[in-house]
Amino acid sequence: MTDYIFPSTIEEALQARVAAPEGRFIGGGTDLMVLMAADMLSPDPLIDISRIPELRGIRETEEGLEIGAATPLAELASDPRLPSVLVQGAASVGSLQIRNLATVGGNICNASPCGDTITPLIVLEGELVLISPAGRREVAVAEFFTGPKKTVLNQDELLAGIKIPRKNLSGGSSFKKIGQRNGQIISQVNVAVWVKVKAGRKVGEIRAAAGSVGPVPIPLLKAAATLKGSGMTPGIIADAARLASIEISPISDVRATADYRRSVIGTLLTDALAEAWAEAEGNN
Amino acid sequence: MLIEFNCNGKDVSIEAPPQTRALDLIRDQLGMTGTKEGCGRGECGACTILLDGRPVNACLLPAAKLQGCEVMTIEGVSDGSGGLHPIQESFLDQGAVQCGYCTPGMIMSARALLESNPDPTENEIEEALAGNICRCTGYGMIIRAVLQAAKVLRGERKR
Ligand SMILES: Cc1cc2nc3c(=O)[nH]c(=O)nc-3n(C[C@H](O)[C@H](O)[C@H](O)COP(=O)(O)OP(=O)(O)OC[C@H]3O[C@@H](n4cnc5c(N)ncnc54)[C@H](O)[C@@H]3O)c2cc1C
Ligand code: FES
Ligand code: FES
Repeated sequence: MTDYIFPSTIEEALQARVAAPEGRFIGGGTDLMVLMAADMLSPDPLIDISRIPELRGIRETEEGLEIGAATPLAELASDPRLPSVLVQGAASVGSLQIRNLATVGGNICNASPCGDTITPLIVLEGELVLISPAGRREVAVAEFFTGPKKTVLNQDELLAGIKIPRKNLSGGSSFKKIGQRNGQIISQVNVAVWVKVKAGRKVGEIRAAAGSVGPVPIPLLKAAATLKGSGMTPGIIADAARLASIEISPISDVRATADYRRSVIGTLLTDALAEAWAEAEGNN
Repeated sequence: MLIEFNCNGKDVSIEAPPQTRALDLIRDQLGMTGTKEGCGRGECGACTILLDGRPVNACLLPAAKLQGCEVMTIEGVSDGSGGLHPIQESFLDQGAVQCGYCTPGMIMSARALLESNPDPTENEIEEALAGNICRCTGYGMIIRAVLQAAKVLRGERKR
């Protein structure tokens, strides 16, 4: 029979993982339970990290904000200290029932190309704090994913938290996604944008990223480079939208065709830019 | 594993395989079959229960996660004095129940909403119930039922 444990500290959780190679960390279980119900996985023991106090909640630090990996998405979706793009990304996941269970760490470690907190964290330059018996390291969210469901996380490593630098807490940002219906949807495409205004109402800094359009969430480097320094005029936005549809590498799958993804990304990016820009100008 | 929690105001202490779903523990071991299974994968909300006051899908919940928590199922919604809760009354009154399969989950989500927001807009009700699928009613009557229940609970109408 399989076992289920509630370690009360990070150290206990790591020890349990080292002692049991067949074990698995569980946050909210909303990804794991679906796999287990389909008999695609039978971890033993389940090491439940959701009650470890150090892993829960959103804290202000000198460098910015730190989000505990086991914080439920419902909490991210309602915290006004977080940038809009992350609030909106978290709020778009599943239903309230899912968001009350699902953790942000689980969303990241599950490493689905459509994870809806991942593109927001990429544009906010999030840093992941990873802890293993060998020590602690930090990895940029953008460098964490190596393929669909694949990451640089070692087997004995725990995601403890996500750091967002203070400089990215200001500015304007937005998250847009499209799926087969409103509510309870897995993204067919999602887009995150973060932008800062500089003198003369020009784009100072800008980052954009897209999910579900490649093996890993993709930074939209060309689209962002075009927009930087511009006045965010309709012409430039149209250029950026066209570049975005070229720089992604979507496939056709059960949710959408590659062509559909290429054609819809420009629209999502255009909407996200408008919203982020309006917020950035308002905050300036 | 011995799982101890409070269910509808009563302390429960029950031996269960830890990876059992909370849904099965509640239905099969505790014999409370009001909580329904629709999809079994988090998509329909028929299995919604309140865990420490918050709606969650019991089909995605390992029973071990009930440990030490306060759980409310549809059986615990009325106060036990024989009458129905105003949300239940309003569902009957508005004809918000057809086959009834989604109803327990809808009522749990509505209950959680009205606890935290006694005067919700239609839009807020739609959002709070977005994780509950109904194949029969077309949702209109359900939303009207929640609006009516909110009024009753605020003391603005009798029933
Ligand atoms: C009906 C339904 C709808 C959904 N809709 C969406 C959606 O719209 N958008 C979306 O992005 N996702 C969606 N999901 C997927 C899922 O809910 C999210 O990915 C969720 O954030 C996963 O978090 P969790 O805590 O439940 O993960 P878990 O299932 O607990 O864990 C997922 C994986 O991460 C590992 N893990 C968890 N925490 C850690 C940690 N701290 N350190 C190391 N490893 C860890 C686990 O071992 C496991 O491999 C949906 C799921 C369902 C069932
Ligand atoms: S049975 Fe749990 S959500 Fe459908
Ligand atoms: S009344 Fe039949 S599913 Fe809602």
